[in-house]
Amino acid sequence: MLSDTWHLFNKYLIISFRTPLWSLFNLIQPLIWLVIFGQLFRNMAQLPGFPEGSYMDFFVPGVLIMTVLFGSSWSGVSLLREITAGSVDKMLVAPISRVSIVLSRVLHSAVQVMIQAFIILIAAALIGTNINPSFFPLLGGLVVILLLGVGFAALSNGFAIMIQREEPLVVIGNLMTLPLMFFSTAMVPQSFMPDWIAVISQFNPINYAVEAVRGTMVGELNASDFFIGLGVVGAFAAVSLMWAVSAFNGLRD
Amino acid sequence: MIHVENLVKVFDAGTRAVDNLNLKIEAGEIFALLGPNGAGKTTTIRILSTLAGFDEGKVEVAGFDMDHAPEEIRKSIGLVAQQTGIDYLLTGRENLALQGQLYHLKKSEIKQRITELAHYFELTDALDQQVMTYSGGMRRKLDIATALIHKPKLLFLDEPTLGLDIKSRKSLWHYIEKLNKELNLTILLTTHYLEEADKLSHRVAIINQGKICAMDTADALKREIGGDSLTLSFADPDAKTHAFANQLQELDYVSNIIWEGERCHIYVNHGAASVPKIAQLAGEQGIDIAELSLSRATLDDVFLRYTGNSLEEKEEETEEWWHKWAGKGGGGKWAKKWQDQNTDGEIQEPDGGWPNSEEEWSQREQKTQSEEATEHKLTTTNTQAWQQDEKQNTDHTEWQKWQDSEKKNETTENETTENADSSNNKDTNNDWKKWQNQSSDNSPPRPNKK
Repeated sequence: MLSDTWHLFNKYLIISFRTPLWSLFNLIQPLIWLVIFGQLFRNMAQLPGFPEGSYMDFFVPGVLIMTVLFGSSWSGVSLLREITAGSVDKMLVAPISRVSIVLSRVLHSAVQVMIQAFIILIAAALIGTNINPSFFPLLGGLVVILLLGVGFAALSNGFAIMIQREEPLVVIGNLMTLPLMFFSTAMVPQSFMPDWIAVISQFNPINYAVEAVRGTMVGELNASDFFIGLGVVGAFAAVSLMWAVSAFNGLRD
Repeated sequence: MIHVENLVKVFDAGTRAVDNLNLKIEAGEIFALLGPNGAGKTTTIRILSTLAGFDEGKVEVAGFDMDHAPEEIRKSIGLVAQQTGIDYLLTGRENLALQGQLYHLKKSEIKQRITELAHYFELTDALDQQVMTYSGGMRRKLDIATALIHKPKLLFLDEPTLGLDIKSRKSLWHYIEKLNKELNLTILLTTHYLEEADKLSHRVAIINQGKICAMDTADALKREIGGDSLTLSFADPDAKTHAFANQLQELDYVSNIIWEGERCHIYVNHGAASVPKIAQLAGEQGIDIAELSLSRATLDDVFLRYTGNSLEEKEEETEEWWHKWAGKGGGGKWAKKWQDQNTDGEIQEPDGGWPNSEEEWSQREQKTQSEEATEHKLTTTNTQAWQQDEKQNTDHTEWQKWQDSEKKNETTENETTENADSSNNKDTNNDWKKWQNQSSDNSPPRPNKK
């Protein structure tokens, strides 16, 4: 199963390398947020109760997570294209486990968004964000990002199989992304939220992912935020993956 | 190799896509499932290749039971689906290598198989180019090659030549026959091209609405229905002409009569001799014949007999009529033709009134394009042979010929009889034979029929 996953993953990687523009295209939106939102909300950092540091220091983890959400929700769209093109049939008729088909797609998508997030991180450092330069915290943050990518790519694949059509899938991707961002501490600290949003955010895996990235990559290290985030995001990824695999098994018509 | 008993597949909407199907395909056979679009061909292939489940019945492929050992079946079969499924951004070699990896071949084995297959399908030079740059025929060949990487015993080909031009189609047929002969590969193919089923397969099953209507060798199916097919239609179809056609059934040389709308197909054993006899009978009873043409019985006639529909016309409805219209603009060739003939520029109503539908129109148009049609048709016809002769002598359109023949009809003897008589002449007969010989010379050798 692992070697099948690797071979398929490898195929997707080659395809990505041959269409580099498509992969870079996905960076535009987070970069715009980074620059414009960062400028727009700059003065918020001076409000009483705002954590120490600049607004950019606070906001960059949110942008990183948003990159993951936007990027990985395309995975389902590409699955539908592969179904139409007949590639999926070709994989299904081969004597390989269905798990490896889902896993290779999801891993590819996650690695892709992880690389994108890393590029955003470098861009953020270039415009003066206080990035933590040590190796292990950076690695930890990337692992959280990777797992979150796995989780959302799996969700996107699962929805793709359920809905079977591209347009509503894109709509669902967008519908999911924005509320998940707003119901988290991506843009404002928890103390700034109305109570009901603060309550909802406690059930939002994105919230924990943002805090974990904040506790590792940017500003002050916070090990407990990281480990809690890692646990929540890991569980989220595992559940989504299982759901996607079961949806894939039902693909037999 | 394949054993299917009472297979039933019901879709969610309640349609029985496959309805009580029984099949037994032996090792080494090329077997064709012939039927119109939506007949259940693809569904059957998807079930047999483990891609689709089924509701009732027993399926055994390559000696393994579908319910218990789908994984074993997957290892023994190769599938070439309608959608190619190869990755256009990868090179031919990468596509083949990936397929080899998915079938768990060793690295050295993959390398060797790629060389072999590329050589076999003459793709060696294109192997390191991205598939994007391949022609349609090359893509199809690469697709078949990827399906063969693990040396399967059984190959499924779902509409292998759909959308290919004639040249690529013939070349692909050549490969399919070669694979069967040289590698003793069992092949199950689906097609809605009569010629394909006739030329390639050892046995044919005619499938319509999920049911198999007839199954035998193509030759046996055609023999069963009678060797030649006469198509008869009337200038003014009414009860009288209908009765006339039906009474032909009583003649000892007529084996079968099938109505297709207003046209009557008469199956006879010696077509050339029957044409003048039938024309004479019509003359005696004062019946106006609009068309009386002779052709060898084709699989389409077999199809017509078992399903009540002609496969070729269905094909036209679904694929070709809009093609012609899109290509030539509204009004089509007919309107122009009639416009040309009237100096006033007024459009004259064609014989038999204006067509009711675009399909009907394009069907009529089809008749005049007999030269073009011969390329697609399974066998040529006597009618076409003399039409070609006629064309060399006169510039008449077929419509005019019909009109002429009717004028003569009224006075003395109808032209069809004359022409039919001439088809008795050795010359015309020779032409026909020549054409048939030619066509078989150009095409790859037929497989040895079982």
